[in-house]
Amino acid sequence: MSLFTLAAAVPIEAEPILTKLHGFFGLLASMTNSILVSIILVVTLVTWAQRATRRMQLIPGPDQNFFECIVEGLYGFFEGIVGHHMIAKSFGLLASLFLYIVAANWFGLLPGVGSIGWHEHEEFIPLLRPTTADMNTTIGLAIVFMVFWLIWTLQEMGFVSFLKHIFGVKGGLKGFMAIALMPIFFFVGIIEVVSILIRPVSLSLRLFGNVFAGENLLTTMMSLGHTLHFPLWLAHLCSVLLPIPFYFLELLIGVLQAFVFALLCAVYLNLSTSHDEVEAENH
Amino acid sequence: MIIPTMIAQAVAASGITGSFTLAIAGAGAALGIGMIGAKAVESVGRNPGAFGRVLTLAIIGMALAESIAIYALIRAFSNM
Repeated sequence: MSLFTLAAAVPIEAEPILTKLHGFFGLLASMTNSILVSIILVVTLVTWAQRATRRMQLIPGPDQNFFECIVEGLYGFFEGIVGHHMIAKSFGLLASLFLYIVAANWFGLLPGVGSIGWHEHEEFIPLLRPTTADMNTTIGLAIVFMVFWLIWTLQEMGFVSFLKHIFGVKGGLKGFMAIALMPIFFFVGIIEVVSILIRPVSLSLRLFGNVFAGENLLTTMMSLGHTLHFPLWLAHLCSVLLPIPFYFLELLIGVLQAFVFALLCAVYLNLSTSHDEVEAENH
Repeated sequence: MIIPTMIAQAVAASGITGSFTLAIAGAGAALGIGMIGAKAVESVGRNPGAFGRVLTLAIIGMALAESIAIYALIRAFSNM
């Protein structure tokens, strides 16, 4: 198998990389290559943010200016969705979800990721694997959001009104009609619960599917020249030129999926916490 | 559950390979996304001022439509 015929498709689950360690370090034995990338990402993002905001001046330096425009832009945008009341609480989670996923998606496009590695009993194990191309990360992100969603919803509405919001009689019916329609609204409540439970599944699968499909797209594009049995020099040329448009596509999809993930989280939050005052959309 | 297996056998017999479910899910999602895009462009044409909010809603709609195709895609990849 020549160097350039990459594996047919990216394997679907991340491979543990430190399997040789035992004893105390045995705990790290199950650390996969996507966790490694995730650690790298978090460390770089946090240190860069800390360094940019250590000595904040009135006239911002380049790093501080960059972070300020990101934070202000995201704050204004999410405030429009989640509302003034909830934004202070939820902005931290929403903005960090967005920034982490954008960083993860774009990190996966760097040249070294997924191609540096070693062969372990005839299976190629990359050292760095894009963290969102691994379902564990996306499920983890979705679960973190759902936990916070539950906490904030119960804080905002209280447990009783939360149940009433789901199973209660809607449409302001009173008296006999309310009692008559009680069972029907109960089943509506069941459907509501199911749709709430589907949310983390759809959030995580959407992000994972898009990024994983992108990885496979790039891999197949790179090895297209070889699979079509072009002459060797043409195959090498194809494996360089063909993926270029798809890298730009992946850049767009990376931002878009991060934006969609954070946006849907904000919308779900807004659905269950903006209970009484119906904000007049002021912009 | 009989019909899908019959379709699968017929498809296998005729030598068409690849995931049948992914084909249908992809077509459905493509139609959905196309319709959302068309309506979004139309509504921005009618009211250019609302571009930002139409864009946000269009992106949410397209993402939800696309996730259906992603479910089929993952199912196709996992048992490829």
